Amino acid sequence: MKLAGNDILIQSLLKEGVEYIFGYPGGAALHIYDAIFNQKKLQHILVRHEQGATHAADGYARATGKPGVVLVTSGPGATNAITGIATAFMDSIPMVVISGQVAKHLIGTDAFQETDMIGISRPIVKHSFTVESAQKIPEIVKQAFHIATSGRPGPVVIDVPKDTTAPDKLFDFSYPSKVKIRSYNPPVNPKSSQIERAVEAILESEKPVIYAGGGAINSNASKELFLLNEILDFPVTNTLMGLGVYPATHERFLGMLGMHGTYQANMSMHNADLIIAIGARFDDRITNTPKLFAPNAKIIHLDVDYSSVSKIIEANIAVFGQVKNSLSEIIKLLNKKRDLVDNKKIKPWKEQISEWKDLHGLNHQMYLNESDNKSIMPQAVVQHTYNITNGRAFITSDVGQHQMFAAQYYHFDEPRKWINSGGLGTMGFGLPAAIGVKLAYPKEEVVCITGEGSIQMCIQELSTCTQYNLPIKIININNEALGMVKQWQDMIYGGRHSESTYQSSLPNFIELAESYGHVGIRIEKNSELKSGLEKAFSLKDKLVFVDVYVDPDEHVYPMLVAPNGSLKDMWLDKDNKT
Amino acid sequence: MIRRKLSIILENKPGALVRVVGLFHQRGYNIESLHVDPVIELKKYKYVEDNLNIKIAEGEVSHLKITTTVNDNLLRQILRQINKLIDVLMAEEIK
Ligand SMILES: Cc1ncc(C[n+]2csc(CCOP(=O)(O)OP(=O)(O)O)c2C)c(N)n1
Ligand SMILES: [Mg+2]
Repeated sequence: MKLAGNDILIQSLLKEGVEYIFGYPGGAALHIYDAIFNQKKLQHILVRHEQGATHAADGYARATGKPGVVLVTSGPGATNAITGIATAFMDSIPMVVISGQVAKHLIGTDAFQETDMIGISRPIVKHSFTVESAQKIPEIVKQAFHIATSGRPGPVVIDVPKDTTAPDKLFDFSYPSKVKIRSYNPPVNPKSSQIERAVEAILESEKPVIYAGGGAINSNASKELFLLNEILDFPVTNTLMGLGVYPATHERFLGMLGMHGTYQANMSMHNADLIIAIGARFDDRITNTPKLFAPNAKIIHLDVDYSSVSKIIEANIAVFGQVKNSLSEIIKLLNKKRDLVDNKKIKPWKEQISEWKDLHGLNHQMYLNESDNKSIMPQAVVQHTYNITNGRAFITSDVGQHQMFAAQYYHFDEPRKWINSGGLGTMGFGLPAAIGVKLAYPKEEVVCITGEGSIQMCIQELSTCTQYNLPIKIININNEALGMVKQWQDMIYGGRHSESTYQSSLPNFIELAESYGHVGIRIEKNSELKSGLEKAFSLKDKLVFVDVYVDPDEHVYPMLVAPNGSLKDMWLDKDNKT
Repeated sequence: MIRRKLSIILENKPGALVRVVGLFHQRGYNIESLHVDPVIELKKYKYVEDNLNIKIAEGEVSHLKITTTVNDNLLRQILRQINKLIDVLMAEEIK
């Protein structure tokens, strides 16, 4: 079959099974856009800003496990995509970003809309390619998808000079069936010696904790994790990125750990004699001061990325491989040694944990104390949302207090349902991410729990939702401030709210949503909260923007004491520390 | 902190070298000296072929030598980060 470069690119994407491409056109990408016009299989989603395209592709990838695909033009199109690429990179999300580039003969001449995309994106991509000729496109696309999705996943950029997609030069097209990159061999299966050592440590422990993160979700390891723990009966905590990989409503689940983790999760980690880290990377929001982290714990670290192990916290036992496979191997060996598994040994430890939970655990029924004499509690907004959606919705979020409330109070029983920017902490992520999720799962409830600060960073995507008829529910936890910033200013800067409020400049979100053709619901009183949210969810075919005015003085707790604190050092409320 | 010599074999492709060099800056490590040549004398590099079970053609890969001053833990981290780069075939310390 003879095809031009632009068609070769689109055909290659189709060979990879791509159904949606999120993008925005411009000069250097116009040959590619013409190829999109001439076919029907690959649906292009026109966003309103390239950042939105990357987050939408990212949301699609997080929800489905399949790579998200983005198409932008050169120069400003490419630079606008950078925040979204960095967001995906920090959370190890598979993504392929195709950027138009000026024609080869213009590169290096400061041509119109020329920018060194490969150079700008280098530190925030897993890898990148420049297309030198149309004939190379199939091989590059094949390699890009392989790199993006294997090992520790991540974004890959393909920079495409305009002349390589010219419609008037035809080439033979055939798509490679296999790919082998000799310098890239991420580990797949663990070594048996590592598994034996891990099992030995597991059998010895009396105060174990399983600490699972986003890597366990990326590796689709939730079933294996569950089965392993049916044998072990260990307490489990998840990172912000790992929520859902172990069922949150299970009695063994301690809640999230870290900066705003539960008291019992942080205390368990601090006092453990064994930590089994599964696809988690001991981020500084988890460890607090690394020197003071879990002083008596042996660490077993399961990861696919060599460089993540012993980077911050030294692992006593490292198990390299896809964590799904490593967990399967541990299960196999434990099944052989079933008579050595003594669940009674950890009974005192579990009792201790339950005491911690009773002492300072979160109140998951704050909505029971509602009255119109009091402001709406942001936590209660999440609790109602959880109840109304039966805990089954996809929840995307932004960054700030609302994000932490969502993570603390929406109990995720399944992986890939909690879609948030954990690593980069990108405000503006939530709405476009919800677009990607809703396209992937049109029949599922998709909710964006956001703040009035974050939503304004990509609010233009409300227009995209109109164009593609995406009935997302947006719950804007409106505290009329950059709440998380304000919280830090309250706690650390003597209450000096430097540039964290907007002085009555907020838009009327209801009218704004309506102007895009959506429905807006304003909630200002506790007595309107439950019914207002129920009404929003009853409007199945509509995007509903629920603007909920909450107590502006509320803080997120627990909160780790920093600097120089350990995981047992927490603020429990405005006045009390552990 | 000790002076270390690193030996890195990477694909001789445009953009490969700058990824390694860029990594030092991104991760906050300092480069003291740097030397790079395409690999011509193949018999000296048989260990690479044996290690990775591949065949290398003349000029196809480059040999990069870098000196840097770091402690043991950081050295391991640097080597793992470099090895993770897609175009790098091997990175190790020369003792
Ligand atoms: C793009 C970006 N800029 C700045 C920040 C720093 N930041 C973190 S939380 C926050 C406040 C967010 O305000 P809002 O969305 O209203 O959420 P709230 O904390 O009030 O719930 C800011 C400014 C960020 N995370 N991302
Ligand atoms: Mg706010």
